[in-house]
Amino acid sequence: MDACYFCSSHIYPGHGIQFVRNDCKIFKFCRSKCHKNFKRKRNPRKAKWTKAFRKGSGKELAVDPAFEFEKRRNVPVKYDRELWKQTVEAMKTIEQIKQRRQNLHHRNRLKKGKELEKEQNRKEVERNIALIKSPAAGLRQMEARLVEEIEESDKEEPMAEEV
Amino acid sequence: MPGPQRRRKYHRGDTHLKKGWRTKRRKKDLDQIDEDLKPKNADILLNQPVDLDLPGSGQHYCLHCAYFVDESTMQKHFTSKVHKRRMKALEDEPYSIEESERAAGMGSYIPPKKRKITTQETKKMEDEDESPS
Repeated sequence: MDACYFCSSHIYPGHGIQFVRNDCKIFKFCRSKCHKNFKRKRNPRKAKWTKAFRKGSGKELAVDPAFEFEKRRNVPVKYDRELWKQTVEAMKTIEQIKQRRQNLHHRNRLKKGKELEKEQNRKEVERNIALIKSPAAGLRQMEARLVEEIEESDKEEPMAEEV
Repeated sequence: MPGPQRRRKYHRGDTHLKKGWRTKRRKKDLDQIDEDLKPKNADILLNQPVDLDLPGSGQHYCLHCAYFVDESTMQKHFTSKVHKRRMKALEDEPYSIEESERAAGMGSYIPPKKRKITTQETKKMEDEDESPS
């Protein structure tokens, strides 16, 4: 299965178009969207919907040994049913592992946002604390404390006069 | 929605734009220019034989952009936004088919290398020496 030059998605049989440049390089595209973008000389690294962008900017798992299995080997292999079976099994397990790692990467990426959100909420509460707790809430207690203090000072003063 | 709907004449006067997007007379891609920048190819491109079909007989060629009619226009071009933008675009290693395959899952991602791109040196002195003799 080929990969699209622009968005790196699969090109299924009977789909897409290919462009052969005058230096014999073959560019394959999965759909007209990708082909048009190529014709307009857009950079796939800068279009946010392409795999190249998503991997380049850390949105998806990009560097992992699990990516090293799939290769263009260009070596003919003689048909062997046992080998075939094992390969298919291996492909399944690799796919599972890849999926798991990708999910983990995704979760770790979103952790940052959750932290920021918490911080933001805390700040908002601090800023608008008056809406939750009235600024006059402690006033009565404060008054009582003030009265006590005045009384105490009154007691102290006569002592001072005596001395 | 009330009022007349505009359905026609959306694409009048687009021809010059669309011609630029055709693959018929496609301008060089960044990876082709990158290939040209290699010293061996650059030497050939900068010292072309006189070809009367090309602009300025092919004697004034900006490696990154295009042919020019004469030296002064090329010098002016070097200070222009078009040229600077192209230099900036060439700073990163060009995107390739291999990279698209890597992004598709055949191999790990390799970030593009940053290069330093400088405008070609002017060969003014040589021309002046040649022209009187």
